[in-house]
Amino acid sequence: MEHNMTRIALFAALIAALGLIPSLTLAFGVPITAQSMGVMLAGAVLGAKRGALAVLLFMALVALGLPLLAGGRGGLGAFVAPTSGFFLGWPVAAFVTGLIVERWRKGPLALTVAMASIIGGIVVMYGFGIVGMSIALDKTLAECALLVTAFIPGDLIKAVLTGLIVQALARSRPAALLSRG
Amino acid sequence: MSVDLRDVGVSLDGQRVLHAISASLTEPRIGIVGRNGSGKSTLARVIAGLIEPDQGQARIGGQDMARDRRAALAAVGIIFQNPDHQIIFPTVIEEIAFGLTQQGLGRDEAQNAARAILARFGKAHWEAAATYALSQGQKQLLCLMTVLAMRPRTIVMDEPFSGLDIPTRMQIARHLSCIDAQLVLITHDPEQVRGFDRILWLDGGRLVADGPPDAVLPAFRQRMEDWGNGDDLAHLAG
Amino acid sequence: MISLTSPVETWAHRLPAGIKLAALSGLTVTLFLTDRPGALGAALLAVFGLYLSGGPVFLRQGLRHLRMLWPFLLLIALWHGATGQWQAGLVIALRLLTALALANVVTMTSRLTDMIAVLTCLLAPLRGMGLQTRAVELAIAMVLRFTPMLTENGRRLAMSWRARSPRRPSWRIVMPMVALALDDADHVAEALRARGGILNDRDAGKD
Repeated sequence: MEHNMTRIALFAALIAALGLIPSLTLAFGVPITAQSMGVMLAGAVLGAKRGALAVLLFMALVALGLPLLAGGRGGLGAFVAPTSGFFLGWPVAAFVTGLIVERWRKGPLALTVAMASIIGGIVVMYGFGIVGMSIALDKTLAECALLVTAFIPGDLIKAVLTGLIVQALARSRPAALLSRG
Repeated sequence: MSVDLRDVGVSLDGQRVLHAISASLTEPRIGIVGRNGSGKSTLARVIAGLIEPDQGQARIGGQDMARDRRAALAAVGIIFQNPDHQIIFPTVIEEIAFGLTQQGLGRDEAQNAARAILARFGKAHWEAAATYALSQGQKQLLCLMTVLAMRPRTIVMDEPFSGLDIPTRMQIARHLSCIDAQLVLITHDPEQVRGFDRILWLDGGRLVADGPPDAVLPAFRQRMEDWGNGDDLAHLAG
Repeated sequence: MISLTSPVETWAHRLPAGIKLAALSGLTVTLFLTDRPGALGAALLAVFGLYLSGGPVFLRQGLRHLRMLWPFLLLIALWHGATGQWQAGLVIALRLLTALALANVVTMTSRLTDMIAVLTCLLAPLRGMGLQTRAVELAIAMVLRFTPMLTENGRRLAMSWRARSPRRPSWRIVMPMVALALDDADHVAEALRARGGILNDRDAGKD
């Protein structure tokens, strides 16, 4: 009981910390903020339910007025901006990512987690994001989908990196991978 | 009040960490010494009721601390080696008040009791301070005040001085010397427990010596120095 | 941790946070239901008036939080300029600005403790479904406590990277950050159990 709760809380804090550290470089020297990777990691490491709860807890703190989103943004404004659909999709993205890692046990872990992150962290999250944009900007879903395609390659790389990170974590701390516990 | 250990054995992750430890601790100041990995931190957690032994019994005042956590809150407090692993709350007052509300005090009572302990240590101005911003020594003192506020009869401290500079260590030690509760101090450094009433020496999860400091510490120091001149770092476990 | 609450004390700080949130929800829905540029323009002016009543410093803070909208406003201007649907573009832009400014005003004038109290209140009905509101409060406090520490872990790892590499730290420091966070979670769970665990009304403390 205490363990589940502290893991959920510490992961919510980790998602915040990933947005607050200076940006990191990807494979090709492109700077990224690692925060959205934290959402994929939450699902992949903690599993569907706990991962989604960690993300919900993080979102609650943003709503309460803490500047925890990358770039120091936060507050209730984070829920009514044109990009808020993405943000609102986070818990579902973490849940789906976690569910796939929990259920799909064949094949190399890195690959499973990368695929799960693509489905949860890209397909599901963009689904929410595009609907949100379409409402805020009063454009069709297809038009909004076109607007966000530029961000997909970066997120694909993040999904692959999430796979590598979780695989390394499983090697150094096998017990830490609750999604496979 | 006494800590009773009867044939205590603990396995963690399939490894035997403690073997048949028996001792009845009634003295006000108890030191437990040993090397890294000797099982002394595990024993600290057993005494505090955080680990249930898989063999034998560990009791304080006749009560099983691992089974009866409510009784444990009144009987025993524990201070861990790294205060960052212990401090749960963002502000000092919340950190101290938490344990008190857990003991059943109302919110206001808990706050008042927390203020009282801060005042007793001359740290009333810490009340609203962010725990994150405290220095390492200040954090350790906060952990001490947090546990003292709950008035346990026994306080277990696991290497409370590691990483502290000499003045800070001296100040914390001075605070400790005026505590009424029974103190069980776990350390690798014989200097820290020289004036104590009784010393337990653990090695490889076994109790190798138990007696007054004069009888145990010189032998302990000699053995540590002998080992220090050798090279047992070369051995890999498992 | 520093919240986005404005240090400039305005009259709106004294209103109960619950009422502000209820008003915000109602007004935001209304904004999305109307298509009349006149009504939306009036709403934006009214919100601007709210900021003005907080004084120049408060107004400047408020405007700074709106900066994130400029790429979208530019996009709308280009799009609707090209298609000639000026009125539709104006409606969208006014709505975006008003909704965000209104949400920000509530955040800027509500203290963290008041917001936590509202959240606890909102979660109370879920108690029947087995949600432990006490655990939620504890978890919120823990995130506030550990976010600076985990950020510091990240900075230290980045520094240790830079001490050995000419390049900017890469994603590789994320793995140890996660591992450290999970280790901390286990230690903190132990510390929490040492002080009675999550619930007051529980007898056995076993997991």
